[in-house]
Amino acid sequence: MRILGRISLLCLLTFSAMADEYAVVSNAKMKDLTLLEIRAIFLKKITLISDDTELVPINLEAMDPLRLKFEKEVLGMSFSRLKSYWIQEHYLGHRPPISMKSQESIKAFITKVDGSIGYLNIENIDANMKIHYRWSD
Amino acid sequence: MYKFVLLFLLAFSLYGEDEYELGKGVQVASLPFYLGAYFSADYRHMDQEDRYRLDDLALLGYGSYDKFSYMAEFEYKTLYSYTQTQDEERTEKDLALHTERLYLDYNYNENYLLRVGKYNSPIGFWNLLPINVLRQTTSHPISTNILFPQFTTGLGGSYTSYDDSELHVDLMLQHNEDLDNKYNNYKIDEHYGVSLHYEKENYALKANVGYFHQLENLGNPQNFYYYLLSAKYEMESYEFLAEVGSQYSQNAATTPYAGYIQGLYRFTQQHIGSIRLESFKDNLTNQNDSISVFAYTYRPIYPVAFKSEYQIHSISAQNQFLFSISVLF
Repeated sequence: MRILGRISLLCLLTFSAMADEYAVVSNAKMKDLTLLEIRAIFLKKITLISDDTELVPINLEAMDPLRLKFEKEVLGMSFSRLKSYWIQEHYLGHRPPISMKSQESIKAFITKVDGSIGYLNIENIDANMKIHYRWSD
Repeated sequence: MYKFVLLFLLAFSLYGEDEYELGKGVQVASLPFYLGAYFSADYRHMDQEDRYRLDDLALLGYGSYDKFSYMAEFEYKTLYSYTQTQDEERTEKDLALHTERLYLDYNYNENYLLRVGKYNSPIGFWNLLPINVLRQTTSHPISTNILFPQFTTGLGGSYTSYDDSELHVDLMLQHNEDLDNKYNNYKIDEHYGVSLHYEKENYALKANVGYFHQLENLGNPQNFYYYLLSAKYEMESYEFLAEVGSQYSQNAATTPYAGYIQGLYRFTQQHIGSIRLESFKDNLTNQNDSISVFAYTYRPIYPVAFKSEYQIHSISAQNQFLFSISVLF
């Protein structure tokens, strides 16, 4: 019985070590953000922050697996629901966030541009970035 | 009319992005200027009448620069309408281009926004997405037509906060004539209103109160007060929406009640069914009615909608079938 317990614990640790971790990150200058604020930024409900810095949310491309995970975990919306949301927002005069092809591009952009915010695999995050929210598979 | 089409074609020729996607508009030559358009055509069948109508043809332009953003929307309303009854045939054309929205926003900071111009009054949920392709049924609930001015021309202000929930406060201030009073359900020269909007997770609540002064209403009251309470619950596959309100003038109810509750179910993203139950009593027009609306919408893609609905009225002569096609470009 004890052996079975140890095997179970080992399996659990192995699986947790295998689980990918992700985070919503920005330039270190940005104030701390709540999950609701992150959601509002990516839905373009908030466009300015604290010291009037213009916010630049950045998405990965449409069907990127990490983007789909982010939309489900952080925005709480499916791809199709988000699509209809942005079509409604087009009528209200709002555009969706810009998209970039790779996490490397997002990382480089965040490092250079104040107010930019995106999501990355945890291993792609540099020490000079601020983590606002993290989640795993 | 042809100028309208030319402008749209010119914008497409200056299109600044790689791929066009229906329902997202186009950016003109990398400028802070996006152009979109929409149209709607519908058919109505009643016992004594058939009507074919090209209802909306509109162009919208918007953009933002620094802390400023703007929106302009111009529309041909009832561009063409053909009605056939047992006794007559009628054709109506309105070739005047109306200003539906025209405003400038100044985003003061993350919480405050100031607006000047003509805008959709932020009253309830339905009135903010009133165009056919975006709403759930071809028809509007009666309450969204009779209780309050759908548009406000003047100043607007809003406060927004995001803590563990969203809170929005909107102010509407009009003390001048409408920018285009043919394009509003009431001809007004004053409108003061406030809106409180609370949203958490999947539900949202809204409360509106206001006052407006109506022009050219000889023999009828001109000063009106209204309130509207709204609630919305939205999940991936279904949605509930309810709005109810009253209108008063000189301490008497002009509309004692008007409201609806609507349930919507998405069988898939393309096939959507909805049921709406409405009721109202209007003392000014001496009308009251209860309406059940059964609707089905087919959206091959979201910005294209084929909608049909059947309305059963307590006044059975008003029973009707509606069908519409609408597209957002």
